[in-house]
Amino acid sequence: MMKLTMAAALCLGLMSGTAVAASAWTGGDDLPTNALACDGTAGAAQAKPYDGGEPANPPDRASKKITVVDIPKLIGIGYFNATSKGIQDAATELGNVDAKTDGPTKANIDEQITFIDNYITSGVDGILFAANDPVAIAPVLKKALSKGINVVGYDANSTPDARQWFVNQAEFNGIAKALIDNMAKEIGEEGAFAIVTSTFTTPNQARWIAEMAAYAAACHPKMKWLETVEAQEDNNLSFNQATTLINKHGDELKGIFGMTSVATPASAEAVTQAGKCGQIAVVGLATPNAMKPYVEKDCVKSVVLWNPVDLGYAAMHVMRQVADGALKAGATSVKAGKLGDLQVINGSEILLGPPFIFTKANIGEFDF
Amino acid sequence: MTGALLRHEAVLACLVCVALAGLAFLSDRFFTTENLLNQGRLMSEVGLVALAMTFVIITGGIDLSVGSILGLSAILLGVFWQNAGLPLEAAIVLAIASGTLAGLVNGIIITRFKVPPLIATLATLALYRGLAEGISQARSVRGYPNWFFAFGQGEVLGIPFQLWVLAVATVVCAVILGLTPFGRATYAIGANEVAARFSGIRVDATKLWIYAGTGFLAALAAVIFVSRVTTTRSDMGTGLELDVITGVVLGGTSIFGGRGTIIGTALGLILIQALKNGLALSGVKGDGTIVVIGIVLIIAILVSAVIDRSRGG
Repeated sequence: MMKLTMAAALCLGLMSGTAVAASAWTGGDDLPTNALACDGTAGAAQAKPYDGGEPANPPDRASKKITVVDIPKLIGIGYFNATSKGIQDAATELGNVDAKTDGPTKANIDEQITFIDNYITSGVDGILFAANDPVAIAPVLKKALSKGINVVGYDANSTPDARQWFVNQAEFNGIAKALIDNMAKEIGEEGAFAIVTSTFTTPNQARWIAEMAAYAAACHPKMKWLETVEAQEDNNLSFNQATTLINKHGDELKGIFGMTSVATPASAEAVTQAGKCGQIAVVGLATPNAMKPYVEKDCVKSVVLWNPVDLGYAAMHVMRQVADGALKAGATSVKAGKLGDLQVINGSEILLGPPFIFTKANIGEFDF
Repeated sequence: MTGALLRHEAVLACLVCVALAGLAFLSDRFFTTENLLNQGRLMSEVGLVALAMTFVIITGGIDLSVGSILGLSAILLGVFWQNAGLPLEAAIVLAIASGTLAGLVNGIIITRFKVPPLIATLATLALYRGLAEGISQARSVRGYPNWFFAFGQGEVLGIPFQLWVLAVATVVCAVILGLTPFGRATYAIGANEVAARFSGIRVDATKLWIYAGTGFLAALAAVIFVSRVTTTRSDMGTGLELDVITGVVLGGTSIFGGRGTIIGTALGLILIQALKNGLALSGVKGDGTIVVIGIVLIIAILVSAVIDRSRGG
């Protein structure tokens, strides 16, 4: 029996050695990257035909009151509270939309699928989503399309044919450039840094990390990546992971990237409690309210994000126009209320705009 | 003793009926064939594991590693198929074998080294999840052929495929637990392990079979799960153990061992799934649903305890 245990342990151990990493940094995905030029000149946009899906026999919803449910990755965090607020703002402004937000309390794809499935059964007109996994969510979204429901994504995409449109908050290479440039400015061209991410398979984070690796290799080749750690989107775990990084790497560690709106403030808190403000830079994606204390104390100099209220607002406007039949395959721009005309990119995505950098000078103007 | 058991199941069956009727009243989309079958589909993975967990808990044990075994088996399925280049059929068989092996390792640690099941499986919960993360290098495996999706998304005679699997597994488990010497040995171990040992029951062998069987069913659930969501992720099945244990305990299985039935577990699972779905359909948000499930669990256990006490138990 003892032998059997040993053999089993050995077996499992050997298997773990076989897989090979493809991205330069752990936590990146293996899709092709498209790093921006170091000086920020925009790359030529490639025209691409519409690659989204179509609902089967949707009823005529033009100008009629529609029920829309918003199912983000998880509820109860500042970021998705902000997108939810944008959705409500747009719904109020439009006047003919009944919108509500519901979803799992943890960023868990299993639960998210169940939520969407239940809302399909309950008979909504439109589903807004932010996917926890681009492929795993696809079957249930295709089911929604097959029932004639309008499906629009925001924040985190699914495979294109499982939804109609996706509102892209910022292009991945744009965010990656903003993050790496700001980090390079703070810790110098030869500094070493680590990354606190959600999980290695979360689509946005994996994409950003892959793009960051590509951009850093091209424009800041001497910066040193130490490691990437997973922290779900859990406040306590993020804090612990950041603290572990600080203790583990000691003086070598000059900077921490927070890849989620939870990881960034938690990393800033870890740096503050370790008394390393000014020695370890924190650069990351986060909502301004969570970062205000650290920015005001000069512990954090730059927070990179788009405006999530605008993101939710744009998603709701896109949903309304899709339901009205006003936004069709082949469109090159879409009117999104107070945001004006938004550009269509990559076939079936709508770009919100360039990323926004919150600094001590401007962070006070935002409240979300 | 059987009287008390039937009592708990009768209470539970009434609760299920009340819940179904109430939810059907709250939402006209709840009690439709399509929705009920769909809920059966969503319930199958938890259901399969809960059947095995019933045996484990009746012996007085617990298996916290089921979610991790599910994740590990799912990852191995993808790795065997994509990285090792095996045919998908062979990958499925190997993944299920690996899950069974993982369960067997639990059993060996518990019986050979006398580690309490709670501690042993808490350790393997972390170990198997860690292996899943390590083996996959946190990358998803996607792009399975279409025939594979039949397990998780297909239908046979209008009923979801996995519901057939769950039904067969339920009958098999109910027969084993209720009508065979193996089942009686399971109860005997949970009621009094020392007495069972002195009565000539092969306690360790029985436990080994049970933990290996749990691994097997968790791995089977993993295959169905991967087929349903069309992708493999290393964090699949996180937190599954809690859903499973909730269902089993709500079904009247005593956490101290020696008591419980498959029918009870089935009723417990149905009640939870019906509440989750029905409340969502009638407009209650996710957080509210969890609160209701917590309250129902407490009420069911209290009622059962009161009945026990009034019978001088």
